[in-house]
Amino acid sequence: MLARSCLRSTRAFAGLRNGAVHISKRAASSSSSGSATESPLRLNIAAAAATTLAAGSIAWYYHLYGPTADATAPAEEGLHPTKYPWVHEQWFKTFDHQALRRGFQVYREVCASCHSLSRVPYRTLVGSVLTVDEAKVLAEENEYDAEPNDQGEIEKRPGKLSDYLPAPYPNDEAARFANNGALPPDLSLIIKARHGGCDYVFSLLTGYPDEPPAGAQVGAGLNFNPYFPGTGIAMARVLYDGIVDYEDGTPATTSQMAKDVTEFLNWAAEPEMDDRKRMGMKVLAVTTVLFAMSVWVKRYKWAWLKSRKIVYDPPKTNDIAPRR
Amino acid sequence: MGFWDTITDLVEAATPWATADAEAPAKELPEETTTESTKEEESTKSETETAAAAEEPAAEEEPAAEEEAEEEAEEEEEEEEEEEPVDPKEEIEEACRNSKQCSPAKHHFDECVERVTSAESEGGAKEDCVEEFFHLAHCATQCAAPKLWSVLK
Repeated sequence: MLARSCLRSTRAFAGLRNGAVHISKRAASSSSSGSATESPLRLNIAAAAATTLAAGSIAWYYHLYGPTADATAPAEEGLHPTKYPWVHEQWFKTFDHQALRRGFQVYREVCASCHSLSRVPYRTLVGSVLTVDEAKVLAEENEYDAEPNDQGEIEKRPGKLSDYLPAPYPNDEAARFANNGALPPDLSLIIKARHGGCDYVFSLLTGYPDEPPAGAQVGAGLNFNPYFPGTGIAMARVLYDGIVDYEDGTPATTSQMAKDVTEFLNWAAEPEMDDRKRMGMKVLAVTTVLFAMSVWVKRYKWAWLKSRKIVYDPPKTNDIAPRR
Repeated sequence: MGFWDTITDLVEAATPWATADAEAPAKELPEETTTESTKEEESTKSETETAAAAEEPAAEEEPAAEEEAEEEAEEEEEEEEEEEPVDPKEEIEEACRNSKQCSPAKHHFDECVERVTSAESEGGAKEDCVEEFFHLAHCATQCAAPKLWSVLK
C-alpha cells in the first residue's frame, strides 16, 4: 500500500514538473512506462535512507545507553575465588567432623583473638564437634554474669553449656579501637554472608602473596590480598605452617588449617546441613513411593472407564415401519 | 585379624543405623587412635606381603626385606613431614604457574613487572600489575584446586 502510493505520487510529481520530457520519453520507449523504470531507483534510495536512519538511531542509542559504564578497576571488585571441590558441599555428603574438630581448634587458637562467634553456644558443639565433657570444660573456662544475688549484685559464675562463645571485645567500638579502626566481623554466619562462601574464605586465608605485585598501592596499615574487594585488607596473614598442633597428628599446613577452619565456619553458619540433607533424602524416598502408589491407584480407579466398550446397536430397519 | 577389623569398622561406619555417641571417649582416645593406626599399618603390611607372595610364589627373602625397608623409609619421611609441615598449596601453585596452561598469563605478568619496575626506577609508574596478577593467580589456583584437594585431608 505504501509502495503503491509512493509510486503514484512520484508519477504525478514527475508528470507535473516536466511533462514534455516525460511525454517524449514515453514516446521514445516502446512499451514499458518511464515512471516504472524511475521509481525503483527512488524507492531504493528511500529504503536505503530509511535503513541508514534506523541503523544510525540504533547505533546512537547504543552509544548513549548501551554499554554499561564500569567505573571500577578489577582490583576494586577483587579476584573472584576459585571453585574448590568441597566434599561437604556435595548432595549426599556430610561435614567431615574430624575436620570440624580441627577447624574449631584453629578458630580457638588463632581466630578467636579478634573474631567473635557470638551466635554459637557451647551446647551446639556437643555431638558434632566436641563431646559433652570437653564442651563443659571449655565453657567453664569463661566467666559469665550470674543471676542477681540477695543484695541485688550480679556476680560472675563459670560458664555452662547453654552459654555462648565469649567475644574477644565487649563491643564494636572496642574492637575497632584495638584494630586501628577496622572491625573484625563476627564469624557465625560469615560463610553465608560473603559471595563465594567457603571458596572465598579459604582463598582469602591462603591468598596473601609474599609481596604485592609491582605498582600496587597498599594503604597504611593494610595488607594486600587479591581476594578482598579493593585488595587492601586490615587483617594480616595469620595462618602460617605449624602454628597449630593438631591433636590427631594432621600436618598443620596453611592450606590444611584454612580448609578445616572454613569447614568449621560453614558448620557454624548452617549447623543443620547434615540433618537437612538427610531430610531431603527422606522426602525424596517417601514422595517416590507415594508417586508410584498414586500411579497404581489411578490405574485401578480408571480401570472401569478405560476398559469399557461403547457399542452402538442400530435398530433394525425391518422391524420399524417407514414413516412417510 | 587386623585386616578383618578394618573391614568390620568400614561396614559399621557405612551402615545407616550406625550411631555416633556424644559421650566422652575419656582418656582412651589417644590409645585407641594409636591402636587403630597400628592395625591399619599391620593390615597394609599384610596386604602387601600377601600380594608379594601371590606375585612371586617362589619369592626369595630379599624383595620382602627391601619392601620392609621401603616402608620404614616412607614412615620416616612422614614423620619428617609432620615435624616440618610444608604447605602443598605453594608448591602446587608454583608448578601450575610455570605450566604451559598459565604461560600466557605468566608472560604478561612478568612483562608488566619488568615494565613497571623500570618505570618506577626512572620516575613514577602510572600503572600497576594487579590485573595481570589476578589473571595469573586465577589460572594457577584453578589449575591447583583439584590437586590440592587430593593432598589435603
